[in-house]
Formats: sequence, structure tokens, C-alpha cells
Amino acid sequence: MKKYLTLLILVAAPFVHTIAAAEGIIVVANTTDNSIQLNRQQVRNLFMGGVIPYDLTAVSLPPDNRTRVLFNTKVVGLTEARIQSYWAQMRFTGRKRAPREVNNESLLLDYLKESKGAVGYLPASATLPKELTVIYKID
Amino acid sequence: MKHQVTYFMLASCLAFGSLPLALHAEENDKLQLSGFARVIMGYLDDANAEYIGYDNSVSFDQQSLIALQADYRFTDEISVTGQLVGNTGKQRDSGIEWLYLTYKPNKALQIKLGKLRIPFFNYSDSLDVGFAYPWLTLPQQFYDTAFFSTFEGVSANYEFTVKDWVINSEGFWGYYDDAFNVASRSVDAQVTGLFGVNTSAAYRGWSFRASFAQGDADVELPEATQFGEQLRQLGFNKNGDWLDPNGTIQFFQLSANYENVDYFVRSEVGKVVGKSGITPDINNFYISLGYNFNPYTLYISYGKRKVYYDHIPNEIPYGVSDGLNTLAATYDFVLTQFSDDKNNGTKLGIRWDWKSNIAFKGEMTLIEANGPISNDFSLVDLGNFDDRAILYQLGLEWVF
Repeated sequence: MKKYLTLLILVAAPFVHTIAAAEGIIVVANTTDNSIQLNRQQVRNLFMGGVIPYDLTAVSLPPDNRTRVLFNTKVVGLTEARIQSYWAQMRFTGRKRAPREVNNESLLLDYLKESKGAVGYLPASATLPKELTVIYKID
Repeated sequence: MKHQVTYFMLASCLAFGSLPLALHAEENDKLQLSGFARVIMGYLDDANAEYIGYDNSVSFDQQSLIALQADYRFTDEISVTGQLVGNTGKQRDSGIEWLYLTYKPNKALQIKLGKLRIPFFNYSDSLDVGFAYPWLTLPQQFYDTAFFSTFEGVSANYEFTVKDWVINSEGFWGYYDDAFNVASRSVDAQVTGLFGVNTSAAYRGWSFRASFAQGDADVELPEATQFGEQLRQLGFNKNGDWLDPNGTIQFFQLSANYENVDYFVRSEVGKVVGKSGITPDINNFYISLGYNFNPYTLYISYGKRKVYYDHIPNEIPYGVSDGLNTLAATYDFVLTQFSDDKNNGTKLGIRWDWKSNIAFKGEMTLIEANGPISNDFSLVDLGNFDDRAILYQLGLEWVF
């Protein structure tokens, strides 16, 4: 039985990865300026504490969240471990602070709805309230 | 050593005592408490040498440390930060390593005033934060070159974008008044007119940095000063001037790095120029390659350092009088105390990010000396060292 289970996991593992990778990510902002469109580098800068041409504030999901893992891989291009070590260096040298973290996608939507200028990332399938505008999308 | 233990205990008590307070602090957002700790075990396979304080026995008290940081935000623009570090190792300072006011009128500009770490190289201001870098021990051939690490003064940092490149420029100015810590001794020193500029540019996975810093060092070595003065009075000006321990020290750095989800390359090239005779010039570099297979990172690294002094030949003649013979022999003896030093370090290591704030590391460093060893840096020859040793290390890195 154990053997079959192992086999099943081995066979299924690549598909799990494929499904996860196939899911798109949207970056949404609470802004009235519908013309704002960021490119991948600007989104990366925004979530890594760098400056961008707009007055927007990044809000993140927790480290073990699946949407965050997808966002790290597709947009930031770094592992979670590397991102955590980057923020440790920034915090303890007084340079930058990691974005505020909200526990899950549903709470993130609530937070974004209430906070002008806030930006967060969500699965592409998320239903958005009218207050939020998609400013970046990746498949 | 007594002080190291006291600060270590103090920081530990504050860290553990403050955890419940930190939870409360998050509620009002004004006060934030955080910290980091490392527990590092090391063993050198050679009984005739020491490396970063490690010898031929298992030791935990060279790089283990705990630090606590408190940030208090007065307004959105103004905050104060203090960081208390308790180090176990005698080569690193303990106590309040950072204490500064920050004025941040917008996202681009940040001005700090107080006691700060000097941003000579990529990790100079985060040497103690082991969680922040992949290696267990920073490449010593590069990072064991600055004799001091903090200053009191002001720094300003401005960040802007050019197309999609993020450019960060920083300048600082101040002074240092404490001691130069080298492996063989600790010497009282002041550095005035200390200033530096650095710029980094980042785009996608690439980042580059260039840095320059300099300061006028006034080093308390009364024997050298008096002997130099005596030689000058007798007309041996070149030899006398060489012994003057005071002079400008300059630091130069260039760095190029690349990283993505799968791998990284990190490199720095540096040069230190000591204008006084007994302050050495140093040329050094390292390059590291890493491969990520989440949650592990495997890396190799190679670093090389060349320390050299501008040894001025003896002007004092032998065989004229007993007095001059003694002076000449003394000068020659002093020269031997400032020996050139070349060595390289090759690392193989692994980092395991167990939790988002806890990592374990294992590292082997092969140290190879090439020629005489100055004993003023990480590597110390205890006698009959065969120029080759391996340091084995295991470590725990924690941020909270």
C-alpha cells in the first residue's frame, strides 16, 4: 500500500506544480486613477520596498500562503527564503520595512476596499469589488 | 570578555522579556520590538592556528549572539531606533550598536542622525544579521578588512528610478572614537573627517554597487610614535615618518550580483589604502555561486585577500656606534611586526530555511595562507602552521 501511495505522489507531484504554475495573478489597487498600469519590474519594486512613480502602498499575504508563493515565483522572481533574508537585512539596518501582511485573500480584499492607495495581489479568478482596479496581470 | 557576556545576557533577557510586549506593541504600531540571534558552532582541524577565534576544539562562543531592536515612531516622518547586541566573540563589539533618529519625509528620502553602522561594503551594516546572508560566515577575505564598524554622525539616502532601474544613493559623514580591533590586540583610535558615498542600481535580478569611504585615523600607539619621533630627530626622516601611525584610510568597493528563483551569483571587489606606513593596503575579492532547491540553498564561494605594507628600507647604518646599532636593530624588528599577508578561503555550504524566520546552516571553509601571516586578521599562526586548515561550522539563525 505504502509503495502505491509513494508512486501516486511521485506521479501527481509534477501535475500539482503545473496546476499551480498555470494559475494567473492579478495586482489590484484601491485607486480612482484607472489609467495606472504597472509593469512587472514596477510591481516587484513596489513589493520589495523600492520607489515607483505612483503613491501606492503594498499589502502582502503571509509567507506560507499559496498566492504569495505564486507571486514570488512569477513576479518577484525570488524564493520566499531569499525574500525573508532581504527583509531581515532591510529592517536591522533601518532601511525599509516589509509590507503589512493580511492573513488571507478574503481579508486582503476587505482591507484593500477600505484603504485608499493600497495594493495587493490575488488569484486571477478573484471577484473584485468596484473600488479596486487591476493594475497588473500575469498568466 | 566580561562585557561581552554581560551584553549577551542583557540582550537575551530583554529579548525574551519583551515578547509579550511586542504583541501588545503591534496593536498601537508606535513601538515595534524585534531582534535576531545566532548560535554558531565551529571547529578548526588544525592545532597550530586560529581562524576567527576558532581553534582545534569545538566552540560556541565566537560568533553566537543575540540582538534586540526597538523602533519608536513619533510621527509618520520621525522615528527613533536602538539596537543592542550581545556578542560572545571578543573580536566583535557588544553594546548599543545602533541608536539613531530617522527623518523620512517621503518614500524616496531618508536621513538618519546618531550612532550608525558604516556601509563600506554590501553587508558591512548587517554583519551580525546572519539570517540576512546565505553564508554561515561572511567571506572573511573580504569582510575582515575594516578595523571599525560604527560611526557617530549623519547619513542620507535617496532612492529614485531611471526607466525601471532602482537607483539608491547614500552619503554619510561623522567620526569614530573607540578602538581598532585586530586579532592580536585592541588599540584606542579616533577617526575624524569620516565620510563616504555609495550608489547601488538594481534591475530585475541584477544589482550593482560602488562605494567609497575615507577617514583620518589617529591611532594610539605611543611606542611607535615615540620611536618615530626619535628617528626623525636623528635625521632618519623616512623611517621616522613610516612609523607615524596616523593617516588617512580609504575604502573602495565594486559589486555585481545576479539572482533568480533557482540560483545566485554574488561578488565584491575591494581595495583599502592606508596612507600611514603601519596601516596596510589591502586588495581583495570574493565570488559566490548558489543553487536554490527550496527550502535549501547550496553554495560555493572563493575569496582572496592580499595585505601589504609599504616597507621602507632601513636608513640607519649598522656598525657606526652601539647606539645606532640598537636603533637599526629595533627598526628592523618593528618592520617584521608588520608582515604582508596573503590568503584565500574556499567555502562549501548549505542553508536550510526551516521556517520563515529560522534557518540552519552548515559550512566548510578551506583556508590557505600563501607566505607569511600577519596575525592581525582572522587567521593566526600559533606556531608551525602548515598554511592550510579547514573550519567546520554549524549554525542556527533566528529573527523575531
